[in-house]
Amino acid sequence: MKKNGESAWTTEDLLTRLERLEKFFVLDVRNRDEFERFRLEGREPLPAVNVPYFEMLELGGKDEMVDSVIACVEQHLAGLLPRDQLILSVCAKGDTSEYVAQGLEQLGYTSANLKGGMRAWGNYYAIRAVVETPDLAIYQISRPARGCLSHVVASDGKALVIDPLRHVDVYRELAQRKSFEIVGVVDTHGHADHISGGPALASACGAPYYLHPYDAIHPIDVLPATICYEMIRDGHIFTVGRVELEALHIPGHTLGLIALRLGDQYLFTGDSIFIASIARPDLGGRAEPWALLHRQSLLKLTELPGKITVLPGHFSSLAEQNEAGLFAAPLEELKRRSQGLQVLTRGSEEEFIRYLLENLPVFPSEYVDIKRVNAGLLAPSEDEASVLELGKNVCGLSGGAS
Amino acid sequence: MNQPFDKLLDARGMNCPMPLVNARKELGKLEPGQVLKVVATDRGSIADFQGWTKIAKNVELLAQENETMDGVNVYVHYVKRTA
Repeated sequence: MKKNGESAWTTEDLLTRLERLEKFFVLDVRNRDEFERFRLEGREPLPAVNVPYFEMLELGGKDEMVDSVIACVEQHLAGLLPRDQLILSVCAKGDTSEYVAQGLEQLGYTSANLKGGMRAWGNYYAIRAVVETPDLAIYQISRPARGCLSHVVASDGKALVIDPLRHVDVYRELAQRKSFEIVGVVDTHGHADHISGGPALASACGAPYYLHPYDAIHPIDVLPATICYEMIRDGHIFTVGRVELEALHIPGHTLGLIALRLGDQYLFTGDSIFIASIARPDLGGRAEPWALLHRQSLLKLTELPGKITVLPGHFSSLAEQNEAGLFAAPLEELKRRSQGLQVLTRGSEEEFIRYLLENLPVFPSEYVDIKRVNAGLLAPSEDEASVLELGKNVCGLSGGAS
Repeated sequence: MNQPFDKLLDARGMNCPMPLVNARKELGKLEPGQVLKVVATDRGSIADFQGWTKIAKNVELLAQENETMDGVNVYVHYVKRTA
């Protein structure tokens, strides 16, 4: 097939451009419901239009995809697509959008194709150093499309991995590149929005996998997990090279949620305090009683030293990144700017509970199955796992920060 | 399921959009009332055939099935040319 000048963006290119606030326009040719469920998002809203490729075929009316794209754009979409901006074609896996990008290029548009499509974007990992010294290195490993964050704490050649995400080779390759040995893997809680890489990573490294026992029971099935894990309790100390992390039991988002505190420097908050929001208490199916626990736990965290750097388990927008591209902020800053923490520290118990319950986003039906997968009660294929994890997490309240 | 059909399109191994592009071409060669059976390995074809047959003229989706063929999951679509 003849190719013109149309270019291909990797997922890494895409993240760079989103972070730099580059202007481009998205032509998404997936089904309408796929587009509604999971779309490209930047630090600011991206201009986008969704025209499923089969609509392009029918509207264009030609036999071949590229010919139909050309006819369809000329007759129906010319007014929607800007001439002065690059148009990024996007589909599920990056094949169909390549035909679309070719058609656009032939019409004289500046166009690019997102290689691997939304699946590749959803599965893309970015690694950023929070700190990197011989005594202590912390890496924040994110899935930018999903808003999932994980962390690696390394010291003296040893490392603890916190909340590893599904593609565990990312952590093993980092360990190899930075010459440290993964000596422990911990999940701050039983995740509902994504499939944990914890048990798989721990077994691949021959390291223990830690979980609070309360999260080894599926809260809705009330069935025990079948995965192999070491129990953590409040006050458990993880020794990693020359540093120590203390587990703080902070039930609320789940019954077994823990935060990990590294002295007065870093606080891995899991799903409790996020940058722009706070975690929701209802994913175990018991919103009201858990909301009370959640409040107690959050109050406990807000009493920690204000200078401690919060490293959360999620973000909901790339706009939450700091100048270094990290999702990290001093606790005192979050207490000032997070609406949830404002209501927590200034409002009554009743006001806070009402705030929590009034700002609950939808409860995605897949979350019950994802918790089953994480407890070892369900074993999906790679395809099924990808489908379960489609889209951005909704572990936080919908009420945002200022 | 014993859904009768007039022509078989083997789209196994083809990536999106080819199962649908080829089905559209083949359907154009059929007479009104005839049925095309499409066998694809692309999982996305399930939703795509549903979406396409909803908006395309003179096309009806009669049935969709999941099967295993030679040890591989396949997605089967029966599409009728209505006019």
